[in-house]
Amino acid sequence: MEINFTLNQKPVSVDAPTDITLLALLRDHFKLTGTKEACEVGECGSCSVLLNGELVNSCLIAAPSVMGCEVTTIEGIHDEDGGPNDLQRNFISKGAVQCGFCIPGMVIAGEALLAIKSDPTRLEIREGLAGNLCRCTGYMQIVDAIETTANERAEKRNQEKREN
Amino acid sequence: MTDLKYVGHPAQRVDALEKVMGKTKYVGDMSLPGMLYARTLRSELPHARIVKLDVSPALKIPGVLAVVTSDDFVNHSNFGFPISDMYMLAFEKVRYVGEGIASVAAETPEAAMAGVKAIICELEALPAIFDMARALDPEAPQIGPTRKDGKHPNFLGHYPVYKGNPKEKFQECDVVIEQKYETVMQEHAYLETEGGLAIPTPEGGVVVYLSCQSPFIPRNDLCKVLGLPDDRVRVIVPPVGGSFGGKDDLNYQTAGQVAALALKANRPVRMTFSREESIIAGYKRGSMRMNIKLGADLDGTLRACEFRSLYDSGAYSSQSPFTSWRASIHAMGAYRYEDCTVDIDTVYTNTGYAGAYRGFGNTEVCSGIEQAIDEMADALKIDPIDFRLKNCLMVGDVTPHGQLLSESVGLSDCLLSVRKMSDWDRKRKEFAAQSPTAEKRRGIGVSALFHGTSLGAEGTDEATATIEIHSDNQVSITSGLTDYGTGARTVYTLIAAEILGINPERIRVHHPDTNTAKDSGPTVASRTTILAGNSVRVAAQNLIQNLDWAAADLLKCDGLQIHRVGEDYIGPSEEPVSWDVVVKHAREMGLVLSAFGRWSAPLIHWDEEKGTGTPYFAYHFGSQVAEVEVDLKTGHTDVIQIWAVHDIGKVIFPQGAYGQLYGGISHGLGYGLYEDLDYQNGYAQSINFDTYLIPTSVDMPEIKADFVEATFSQGPFGAKNIAEPAMVPTAPAILNAIANATGKRIRKLPANLERVMLGKELTKKGSPFSCKIALKIT
Amino acid sequence: MAKFDYVIAETIDDAVRLLNKPGIRSIPLAGGTDIYVAIRVNQPWFDRLVDIRRIPELTQITMEGDQIKLGAAVTFSHAIKSPLLQKAAPFLVEACKTIGGPAVRNCGTFGGNVSNAAACADTLPSLVCLEALANLRSPKGERQVKVEELITGPHETKIDKGELLTHFTFKAPPQHARSCFIKIGRRKAQSISRLSIAVIGTLDQYGKVETIHVCPGAAIATPIRFPSVEATLLGEKPGKEIIESAADQLVAEMIKSTGRRWSTEYKEIALKAIAERSLTKIFLEDGSSWK
Repeated sequence: MEINFTLNQKPVSVDAPTDITLLALLRDHFKLTGTKEACEVGECGSCSVLLNGELVNSCLIAAPSVMGCEVTTIEGIHDEDGGPNDLQRNFISKGAVQCGFCIPGMVIAGEALLAIKSDPTRLEIREGLAGNLCRCTGYMQIVDAIETTANERAEKRNQEKREN
Repeated sequence: MTDLKYVGHPAQRVDALEKVMGKTKYVGDMSLPGMLYARTLRSELPHARIVKLDVSPALKIPGVLAVVTSDDFVNHSNFGFPISDMYMLAFEKVRYVGEGIASVAAETPEAAMAGVKAIICELEALPAIFDMARALDPEAPQIGPTRKDGKHPNFLGHYPVYKGNPKEKFQECDVVIEQKYETVMQEHAYLETEGGLAIPTPEGGVVVYLSCQSPFIPRNDLCKVLGLPDDRVRVIVPPVGGSFGGKDDLNYQTAGQVAALALKANRPVRMTFSREESIIAGYKRGSMRMNIKLGADLDGTLRACEFRSLYDSGAYSSQSPFTSWRASIHAMGAYRYEDCTVDIDTVYTNTGYAGAYRGFGNTEVCSGIEQAIDEMADALKIDPIDFRLKNCLMVGDVTPHGQLLSESVGLSDCLLSVRKMSDWDRKRKEFAAQSPTAEKRRGIGVSALFHGTSLGAEGTDEATATIEIHSDNQVSITSGLTDYGTGARTVYTLIAAEILGINPERIRVHHPDTNTAKDSGPTVASRTTILAGNSVRVAAQNLIQNLDWAAADLLKCDGLQIHRVGEDYIGPSEEPVSWDVVVKHAREMGLVLSAFGRWSAPLIHWDEEKGTGTPYFAYHFGSQVAEVEVDLKTGHTDVIQIWAVHDIGKVIFPQGAYGQLYGGISHGLGYGLYEDLDYQNGYAQSINFDTYLIPTSVDMPEIKADFVEATFSQGPFGAKNIAEPAMVPTAPAILNAIANATGKRIRKLPANLERVMLGKELTKKGSPFSCKIALKIT
Repeated sequence: MAKFDYVIAETIDDAVRLLNKPGIRSIPLAGGTDIYVAIRVNQPWFDRLVDIRRIPELTQITMEGDQIKLGAAVTFSHAIKSPLLQKAAPFLVEACKTIGGPAVRNCGTFGGNVSNAAACADTLPSLVCLEALANLRSPKGERQVKVEELITGPHETKIDKGELLTHFTFKAPPQHARSCFIKIGRRKAQSISRLSIAVIGTLDQYGKVETIHVCPGAAIATPIRFPSVEATLLGEKPGKEIIESAADQLVAEMIKSTGRRWSTEYKEIALKAIAERSLTKIFLEDGSSWK
């Protein structure tokens, strides 16, 4: 079946079997390996992507169902020059990265959370990450990274307001 | 020590950038043209004889290109250390559910599974043992190998520590307590499952990208089972998505399977496990049944300890001889005793199999002894921290093993610090005054640990690193010890940067590759910072000598007249000369711009018969406090906060050290409260993350952590280690907090809803079905 | 060769037609969170998925008169954000918040939760308390079945083959109604319910119990109300003893229904506790917040 959708802000078209998941579509057909396969039952969040801006587990999404939708993977999260954006830079500087396997999902979950909640408490950040398992970090520094980003973005918005 | 520029200062993990961009390629992300996909036929029975194995139907499945069994290897693919009782693929018998029997390589994953399903494999069920207490019965079915000493074949080993005669000493003690404690198996649950990619080489050899910790072990194993010389087998460790001790053994089998398939099919072959396969087939932390007897006086002096336990190694020995030994050394806790004996008996059963997992025996015994210590403090009506402070090991003490601790013992400082940080005294008082009828109750508990660094008596303990300046003046390091998320590469970078006096950004650490790194033993036992760190230090020190010589020659002065400011060399003329210029000059002088560095650990000695010696050359110490709220009516334990203070010697990479500590605590919290594979008759009932519950971000509390730097004179810059000890005290701290909250002791892990509410477990009758189905998931 | 096909339905009629095409077993696809987990271990019991998520009526939450209409393909996230549901049925919103994690809530739907009919499904107790009706459309026409009657056992419903569950309707509870949902899970997030309870009730002008609906979850085979328990409370002035008596009765009814099973020793204490706590919360307003 031909599936037309927007992938990381670019229109794409792919002919793929109807019974595969979005995760399989991304990894096997588009060769975007940043999104990971780790449990395949929607429990670990390693396969997190944004579907029309919302956080979803791509291992449970029917590939054809993204027709006409916007899908954002970790490969679509970056600065204008292609380097790390502010959230990704904070992940690095706060020590949130160890083995790295959960990190694409965590970055995606972080962006999804900050899109709907611009000044989350640490508990709200943890709730936003509740579907993303990590076995290395104990979550502390990941929460730090998202909290810092939220503060920086708020500061930037205030600054822009003051300038206008 | 002069002011350090890089070591101990904020630094960023060297490989973090590609990870946050999603660019890092783990084994499952790697693919090559013509690559085949492999799957393994795994046993659905816990103990059986292989009566018939016919793989020819698999070869008829379209897309299947190769199938291998133990017949395709030298000596039936036998391997294993220290006891060679394992096979790359089962030979004649299977001993646990999930054991690999045959492997198939095909053009697609679906064809590979179709091939697996087509194999004719007849298993004749053999009687099995699932209860470790029955393993040494005279009529028990034989699981382990027949022993030369005539002892029961299911007996793996006895691990003692002997000091004096506690039985006698108990008669003199004011208070004696005796309790049983029990732990269950724990699953590593790394987010990346096992996997390997094998590529045949034109010279008839093989390169394997293997998600593992210790590449030289599978390299040597592959040479053995494939009958190839060591320059024809190369193992490379790509980025690993977590291991925690879990990607050895079983993943060496993966290496053997994909390598044999790749050689047979003459195509690259990749295997990655499904989550269920990883949980069913992978080894676990062993389970332990402990009997702990302590004797103390009313003034709070701990005097005697008698520790006895049974340890279940499951179907294979794996690391159990070492895990059991380490468990024996740590079983009495970090305390002084007049008399102390430890007896650990390790046995085989058919309940999965036990191997290495973070803490490696100490996690198991600490969960028992630290509860026993608390129970004694309760019996004596002494505050648990006071009791530990009175009896804990200090510099100058002789341990129960007979070892003088001459330096680097920070335990009392850890206890004092964590007491203050957690507001312990005020909370103990406040919680003691809770209404006896309150359904939700708060409690606070403490635990302490010591953890011997590196291998101890397990084996030769040395490491080698190389360091080289390239033509672009970038520096590369190789180490035989790997970084699988621990941050070791960053530690090496900071050490080298400090010694060479250059910006860490100039340095890169190669991925471990058996062709370029030097075998430094396994990356285990939290030995990386000391062993590899020291070897990098030595290599950098060897290298800097040539650069210093070149600088003196360039500046036409004595080496002692030169000092470094930033990367620059400044001589008597006060004109700064850049490092790049010095390197260029060194090159022109014809000096070698690479170096080797080797470091051997101080000799230790252990007498297995007498149960005494100097088991480890240094010890990590630490203490954790947990505050909980327990709902007596639902059995739910909410961990409100955790405080952790650890003596890790000099902190080299602070962010990394905190990360390891927080991460370790999450393993400990899961071990204490949630994680239960629920093996029944050899079948795990929890085989994916919906039922095997590891802590989520909401289950993990805020953690306040700090480090005590009781430096170890022989560690690099005084460092010791953090990785494993981080998790060891967490579960007992939580269990002690639950006891403080409820007055009830949970002596069997995990302290789940039923155990907390009822004081016992309730188990649903399990079945083999979910395992059987899961092993055939496409 | 794909194991199953996929098609998008644009309207309800479209969906019903596609679900009833002869010769091809078709089932509705909403969130997919249950289907993809199920086909991991079972052969697909369908040849085609009919995606119903783009049908406007199925994703809306509206109010017509005193009836709230909740589309079958409304996700839990959408429900949590809905001012209408927050006001009219806060315990249903609370229940949605306890399901899975954020990603699961963005996909999971009421229709999926009800038609999957797991004994531990978290929306069921509240929907049963609300006396919600499930609207089922087929080529033969339309029928409404109470959710309480629709579910006949774990993973068993009276939804016929080819029938599409389009929406739920329930009468908006009165302004002075108070509701509560409590869930016990083994972990604090992403947790299957070990046990749960939904209660909703009102007091009359004399402070006596005017209405009370009680439905436990994951307690017995199907989510049902317990009229005998409710009768204990009706007309009474709520107090500690009467609430305890009702809770004891609920436990007794549970045991009568299931017999003493392996989990009963745990559930009899826990169910009593959450029954007492939820009833206390709505009737005694003691200010405690029970999780």
